[in-house]
Amino acid sequence: MTSYLLQRVLLMIPTFIGITLIVFLVVRLAPGDPAELRAAGGLGAAASGGISVDKRGAVDEAMAQWRAQYGLDKPLYVQYAVWLQNIFTLSFGVSFKDSQPVWGKITERIPVTLKLNLWSLLVVYLVAIPLGIYSATHQNSITDQATTLIAFVLFAVPLVWAATMALVFLCGGDFYYLFPPGGLESLDAADNWSWWRKISDHAWHLFLPVVLLSYDGFAGLSRYMRASMLEVLRQDYVQVARSKGLDESVVVFKHVLRNSLIPQVTLLASILPGMIGGSVIIETIFSIPGLGQLGFESVLSRDYPVVLALLAVTSILTLIGILISDLLLAVVDPRIAFGRRAQ
Amino acid sequence: MFARSWRFILPVLFVASCGDKAEIKVADVKPILSKEEAGKPVTGDWLVYHELSDPEQLNPLTSSDAVSSEIGGFMFEALLTRDPRTLEIKPYIAEARPEISQDKLTYTFKIRKDARFQDGRPLTGEDVLFSVKAVKCPFVNAPFLRVYFNSLVDAELLDPYTIRFITKEPYFRNESVLGGITLLPRHHYDPENLLQRVTVKDLSQDPAKLPPEAKQFGENFNKNYNRNPMGTGPYKFNGWKTGSELELIRHRDYWGNGKEGIDQPRLDRLKFRFVNNMDAALNRMKSGSLDYIEALQPVQAVRGTSSNRFNQEFRKYEYYSPSYTYLGWNNEHPIFRDKKVRQAMTYFTDRKLIVKSVLFGLGEVVDSHIYLFRPEYDKSLVGYPYDPLKASALLAEAGWRDTDGDGVLDKTIDGKKTPLRFEIKVNSGNALRKSVALVLLDELKKHGVAASVRELDWTIFLNDVKNHTFDAVVLGWGMPTDEPDAYQVWHSSQAANKGSNAISYKNSRVDEILEIYRREFDAKKRVEMYKEFQQILHEEQPYTFLFVRKQVSVVHRRFQDVEIFPAGLRPIDWWVPARNQKFASALTPQ
Repeated sequence: MTSYLLQRVLLMIPTFIGITLIVFLVVRLAPGDPAELRAAGGLGAAASGGISVDKRGAVDEAMAQWRAQYGLDKPLYVQYAVWLQNIFTLSFGVSFKDSQPVWGKITERIPVTLKLNLWSLLVVYLVAIPLGIYSATHQNSITDQATTLIAFVLFAVPLVWAATMALVFLCGGDFYYLFPPGGLESLDAADNWSWWRKISDHAWHLFLPVVLLSYDGFAGLSRYMRASMLEVLRQDYVQVARSKGLDESVVVFKHVLRNSLIPQVTLLASILPGMIGGSVIIETIFSIPGLGQLGFESVLSRDYPVVLALLAVTSILTLIGILISDLLLAVVDPRIAFGRRAQ
Repeated sequence: MFARSWRFILPVLFVASCGDKAEIKVADVKPILSKEEAGKPVTGDWLVYHELSDPEQLNPLTSSDAVSSEIGGFMFEALLTRDPRTLEIKPYIAEARPEISQDKLTYTFKIRKDARFQDGRPLTGEDVLFSVKAVKCPFVNAPFLRVYFNSLVDAELLDPYTIRFITKEPYFRNESVLGGITLLPRHHYDPENLLQRVTVKDLSQDPAKLPPEAKQFGENFNKNYNRNPMGTGPYKFNGWKTGSELELIRHRDYWGNGKEGIDQPRLDRLKFRFVNNMDAALNRMKSGSLDYIEALQPVQAVRGTSSNRFNQEFRKYEYYSPSYTYLGWNNEHPIFRDKKVRQAMTYFTDRKLIVKSVLFGLGEVVDSHIYLFRPEYDKSLVGYPYDPLKASALLAEAGWRDTDGDGVLDKTIDGKKTPLRFEIKVNSGNALRKSVALVLLDELKKHGVAASVRELDWTIFLNDVKNHTFDAVVLGWGMPTDEPDAYQVWHSSQAANKGSNAISYKNSRVDEILEIYRREFDAKKRVEMYKEFQQILHEEQPYTFLFVRKQVSVVHRRFQDVEIFPAGLRPIDWWVPARNQKFASALTPQ
């Protein structure tokens, strides 16, 4: 087991470097120049009256000066090497926007994103797992088919549309006012509110984003669950359990459910990066100051250090997620580890 | 195990279903509508202000975005300002407008003795001098701002309240540039007085020769003052939740309280809320959590804000935003070298239709690059109406005929048969500019002109414009609300070296006007010069000037003294009558 772990961890290093290289190139080769964006008087900027040639020289010089300050004047491979080296010392540099350390900007927003995604994960599992079990045990019944249909319709509804509709119809405006139109707390929120008032205000603001983040996850997970339940239901030992005269609920919940949960462990791999990656759409539409919003704004303003740091963190988490799910799989299903040992 | 987990989610559902129906209870009193009823201005209440995004940061020198400067405008002041109605320069922290020497190179400002910073310490000449040094210091991360101060070569204090600036060349705009320097407290931004022994003259020269203190100052200044601004202005910084909101609080002991010619703040708090999505912003406004949106999208201004309910609570303000959109013809292109072709193109362009259908009527056709409210604007210009027949006649006059019967006009230019075929470039993602090009395209097709539209990514588009590799473009320029200086866009020298005269317009008389204009300190003479200049442009049509857009702002009706000025609305003047105040007066003890 230890050597397996070591082997896997060592393998992660070249994979990670490969990812960073691709990420770096994609981000840096995309059109757009942060220096030009910052030279607000740039040609064509709607708010300016143009730049004279004598000033153009000064602006070009200022742009060069600005680029030099952030090392953007060096060849791309040098920049990559410097960046990679910094990552291994856990230094992500400073943001172009406000010269603040990137790491601080990220950690500032982690709690919000984490909260949003943990809740939505909980909702997805709470709905999809029972749904999958029900569908499997009542295979091909009308309810099975109806829930499948609904789950897939939900899966097909674009989030941007659903979120905008929810915002227009449910959040004040000209229709119903059931939920707040964005943000995380009320306008008059104060520190002297009771804890209950604070929590309920918070929950009221989080409800809609969480529901919207969850609905399209129902289809996938409930299908996985249904398929793996059906597979286990066909096993001989289930037949044996039934013929022993065990109660059907014991058969389903004790024998089938446990075994069919094993494949779900692999899904963990995508959960970890998903926690941090956040949802750009929901955070933007509901003005929630999470990592998705930070990433989106950083891409628009070509704030390379922030974009690259977010991508690096997400890819590390993906790798760790895969590692953990593989290890867990070996723990819950000893056959996998045995197979390796035989090799 | 599932049954147990439901217990955690139930409270959430419960809370959600019984949440308050409004984020804030609105006072049930009807807003006062008449001025007489409102009475005298009183203090109190908050203004909840919409912004699309966070400011970059709050150091007025190192930030370069519009949100930072908008918020900074409430906290910082300068020597001079502009009268909001006449847009004329008037003194603010200075006692009077500067004394300008005979050779127009030296500007001497006398500073008021009663101005104080927000920590109560008086503003002196030392702070003004420090502010100049901070801008000029090459280690301060403000390279783009510094470009404007290139012509400032020295500054010195004559006495503690008098400062003298020396500039390189006479230029009438120097007064407003120098008078516009953001005034910073030296004791706050440079507590160790690192710049004390460095002079403005030193800072204008080789950075390598500067003492290490200057570098040390630059590093401190860039790093440590992003979220703790302090100026002489009427509002103080009071907290910032990144990504959601920023709050300013009225400075109770503001030095300008009750003084004539100084803005009088009344609102206790300005809360800036950041909402990136305009649909969400409008919804927030309707649900009572925003008081002011500066710019609605055109479609929002027409739909979704017309109901009675909305208009009882809010008021829309329409006004021109100081920028214009134009079709630029590459004046060096074989087809567009001919004035008649350019004039024909303007006659082909149905500008009124564009304003009506593309802008939902929220705009105005213009024939000049000068802002409509400026005295320089030449009202006598007779427009080019939409007239395709006249346009076709002009093309025929210029020698364009369909000789080969392929449906496209042609002409022999420089011995080569050239079809009347060109491409209009626009930047992708700008639906408005693309629609403009498409409207023209439809018209041209009917008259034997084969034009096409090409969308390009902004950076690539910009490169093509700078390198003059285009036939025609749809673009926009800002129109200064203060004294215009269009030298960079129209002078022939600016066509080279990636200058702003990207269409290569060249006219010797225009060059001459632009040159003398910059050295003319008599405003009346300048106006006359620019009228002649506009008439030349009007005749030559190097651009087809299209329109100025109208911006639509929405303000809650409880605010009084909301007035449209040439440069837009001024929330600093607004106040709320006591019985309409929505938020409890909550000025924390200071």
